[in-house]
Amino acid sequence: MDSPGIVATGVRRSFGDVHAVRDVTLEARAGAVTGLVGPNGSGKTTLLLMLASLLAPDAGEIRIGGVDPISDPAAARAAVGWMPDALGAWPSLTARETLVMTARLYGIGRDDAAAGAARLLDEVGLGPLADRPARVFSRGQKQRLGLARALVHDPRVLLLDEPASGLDPQARIELRTLLRRLAAEGRTVLISSHVLSELEEVVDDAVFLVEGATVSSERVAAAATRQRTWRIRLADRDARAAVVPIAQTLGLDAALIPIDRRDVLVAFVTDNDAASALAALIAAGLPVAEFAAATGILEHTFLDLEGGRS
Amino acid sequence: MNGGRLWTIARLELLQRVRTVSWYVLLGVFALVLIGVTGLAFLSFGGWEQSGAGVYSVVVYVTLLLVLLVSPTLSGNSINGDRDAATLAPVQVTLATTGEILLGKFVAAWITGLAFALVAVPFLIVATFAGGVLPWTILTSLAILVIETGIIAAIGVALSGILARPLFSVAVTYLVVAALAVGTLIGFGLIGSAVSSEAVSKSRYAATDAYGNMECRDGSDSCYGDVENMVCDDWQTTTYRMPRYDYVWWMLSANPFVILADATPTNFDTYGNPDDMFGWIKSGVRSAQLSPPLESTWDDCDPASYGPGEDSPTPEQIIAETVPSWFVGLGVQVVLAALLLWWAWLRTRTPARTLPPGTRIA
Repeated sequence: MDSPGIVATGVRRSFGDVHAVRDVTLEARAGAVTGLVGPNGSGKTTLLLMLASLLAPDAGEIRIGGVDPISDPAAARAAVGWMPDALGAWPSLTARETLVMTARLYGIGRDDAAAGAARLLDEVGLGPLADRPARVFSRGQKQRLGLARALVHDPRVLLLDEPASGLDPQARIELRTLLRRLAAEGRTVLISSHVLSELEEVVDDAVFLVEGATVSSERVAAAATRQRTWRIRLADRDARAAVVPIAQTLGLDAALIPIDRRDVLVAFVTDNDAASALAALIAAGLPVAEFAAATGILEHTFLDLEGGRS
Repeated sequence: MNGGRLWTIARLELLQRVRTVSWYVLLGVFALVLIGVTGLAFLSFGGWEQSGAGVYSVVVYVTLLLVLLVSPTLSGNSINGDRDAATLAPVQVTLATTGEILLGKFVAAWITGLAFALVAVPFLIVATFAGGVLPWTILTSLAILVIETGIIAAIGVALSGILARPLFSVAVTYLVVAALAVGTLIGFGLIGSAVSSEAVSKSRYAATDAYGNMECRDGSDSCYGDVENMVCDDWQTTTYRMPRYDYVWWMLSANPFVILADATPTNFDTYGNPDDMFGWIKSGVRSAQLSPPLESTWDDCDPASYGPGEDSPTPEQIIAETVPSWFVGLGVQVVLAALLLWWAWLRTRTPARTLPPGTRIA
């Protein structure tokens, strides 16, 4: 269960004078979904390309299920399912053919390939479109095809680059369920995404990547515990009217409390502070309809790290 | 190297090809061109009787020409085009090796080129029915056509792996094909005439008076051939430059059209003339091996030089006394294609250490 699915140590890769990945050290557990979080151009895709055995690192070590993808790419490829961020589908092939062909390239027999393709198409919700050419697919449908393609050889390690982009809300929920199930089956899932609220609901661990380097766990912890903003909404009045009683109850200066549409925004340093504030508001008889962190932990940490950078 | 995976790569390419309409349009246009060519060839070789060999050779030549013209477009973007469409990397992460990907695409491009030869088959059969085509000619010419198609396909696929931009690699493939088909001819012509030798022509004529009448010692009007009686002028010597094609004839051996002609056995008529295009081109190219005469003499006062002189050799004689070179040219082409494929393999293999400038792997 705890055997590491992906281990990267001191990985570095540059393209000419562009240092895409400077220093990445990460570990993704088997049986867990690990999120790879970072701003645009932070090296997420380059890192995934190296993990997928397409790109050789300039320095550092990578182990995929214990295998070095540089010295033994075939063994690493058999273990890894990679879903690229670019939607590359053979335009005139149907979804079913795409999956069967990919399975054949993984050395899977004709009959197994066909059966596997049918199962995967249902799993990602492309069953009704199985025999339509990929050319007519929408972005979200291509995304699902890409996910199915990454799964054809039943890989133990999954590398998903922005799998949720272009998916509708229903499909995102299905994706989340699928990822949880894949992790529950003991696979290692590494997923990169910009949609942090999405990621928040599915990942067990998170790795933060800033300017090509992984952020140390201490810095992440520090960022995560820095003060966060809560949204407060009262049931019986709009935000402008709510500011004064909330400020009085919490002992704050009403003029300094920001208002965002229907909500009053109040910052707390710790979760305990927030909890006692809520108790105070209720004790004061205010009809609290909403009391929620304005940003998720991931987003909060991400923005904090981002802010620290600039 | 795994045959199943290699063939899957080839099938991927071919499946996509056969599902595009433009492909069938191209084949249809080619068929129309062949209808016209075959009809005109029958007219120019003098009707149905005994024109089979000529028509057959013309159809094979037009097919080769078309393959050379079309193949670079079909194969010259197979790898970098896939990279641009983001369909290359999903194949590279499978168990398919770089060699399998390259060779699979090469096989697919070859088969695609052969589809044109397939369209030409009915016309070849018609020509064969007209008679006069030897089985050995059919076998050799078709074999060379198939091999040439493969070489062009290999060069196109390789260049698409070496160069990053599809448009550029297609253009370079065309340039390589042009260098082989036209460049060898231009090089042959230009270098051959540039390295010309000095040739000397000596001549002595019977003397004539101011009215143009012959001068004879005995005062008669005509004494031509009567050496005793003739008055001869002084010897005149003129020099001129003679192109030395015999120094550069080998350049033509890398030309696909020359290879096709040179490799195909020739059937001669009773006058020693070939009965098809292959033979005429072969004898023309082979005659370049003969060194040109650098001295010529004409003497009115020597009846021995009056005679009919040496007959210029017939094509049959030329071909008999010169050496074939097609296998050298074909060998050079095969080595070129193999080297380019190997270079493409270096540029495409994964995990990639260096990337061609300006490309992303995915």
